[in-house]
Amino acid sequence: MKKTSNIESLDNAASFGVGRWAFDVRHFLWRIVDFILAGVFIYAGVLKALDPVQLAHDIDHYKILPWTIGVGLAFYLPWLEILCGLALIFRRFYRGALSILTALVVIFLVATIAAKVRGLDITCGCFGHASQNWSFPAHLALDLAILAALVVLCWCSVAQSACECLTSAPVVRRVSKTA
Amino acid sequence: MKFLFVRQAVILAALALAPGVGEAIYFRDKISWRSAILPSKMVTVEQAHAWGDTAIWVDARPDDEFASDHVPGAISLNEDHWNELFPQFSTAWSPEKKVVVYCSAQSCDLAREVAERLRKTTQPPMENVFVLEGGWEAWVKRNR
Repeated sequence: MKKTSNIESLDNAASFGVGRWAFDVRHFLWRIVDFILAGVFIYAGVLKALDPVQLAHDIDHYKILPWTIGVGLAFYLPWLEILCGLALIFRRFYRGALSILTALVVIFLVATIAAKVRGLDITCGCFGHASQNWSFPAHLALDLAILAALVVLCWCSVAQSACECLTSAPVVRRVSKTA
Repeated sequence: MKFLFVRQAVILAALALAPGVGEAIYFRDKISWRSAILPSKMVTVEQAHAWGDTAIWVDARPDDEFASDHVPGAISLNEDHWNELFPQFSTAWSPEKKVVVYCSAQSCDLAREVAERLRKTTQPPMENVFVLEGGWEAWVKRNR
């Protein structure tokens, strides 16, 4: 009885170790994605915060919002992006940051497509002057890639606690069986 | 879980307000909350007329609109053909002259863009560049 228990506990430990290792690798990969996204948003936010006047004009080119609201957003949005980027790095208000960034990218995508449909020749202003010569497909591809990464991170964030439970669940079950 | 997302998002959104307000105060003289062009960089048709020969009129509209009609003596200068059109403007310009840029109407953005480009990219930078309030429509209304 005791021997069986030892073998089972070794088996448990091995499966737990492999599961834990797989979880750690996955966690590490998500952290890399976190850092890449955070870098993108902090970079974009800093560029825009340095030139809010240009950003206000870029927002105005979409012809969606009144000028006054565009100016307000030009002062506000860059800092929101920077804060959310920092939140991704330090994992403070992490889920809030993910939801804000996802909403921002979705709104921006819709606005860009709407502008294109209406035949407006716009510069997105996403990365200040650096993005002025980007084509519409390039904008779209980058935004969709960022959106995909954000959605995956959102999903992981929600499922993370469930993942942790799954990794440790077999151990709990087998130990209780031997007992 | 859902409330956690919302609560965190609200906190972040509130935190971003502080630097945003600070920046708005810092840039208060560089941007107008009422119009895309600073009031000090705009000129009415009457004021521009009063400047007489000391003003150069620049038409920022597309070539075909300029060809159909324009302010007498105006020089065409637009973003589409900047390199071809700029030499003509630069020969007419001198530092003591004021530049009045106009496009089709108050709502168009071409005049602001041309004025901005003249201020930023020319050497030496031009200071006396103004956008005509109401654009071509206002000029027509006043003169015809």
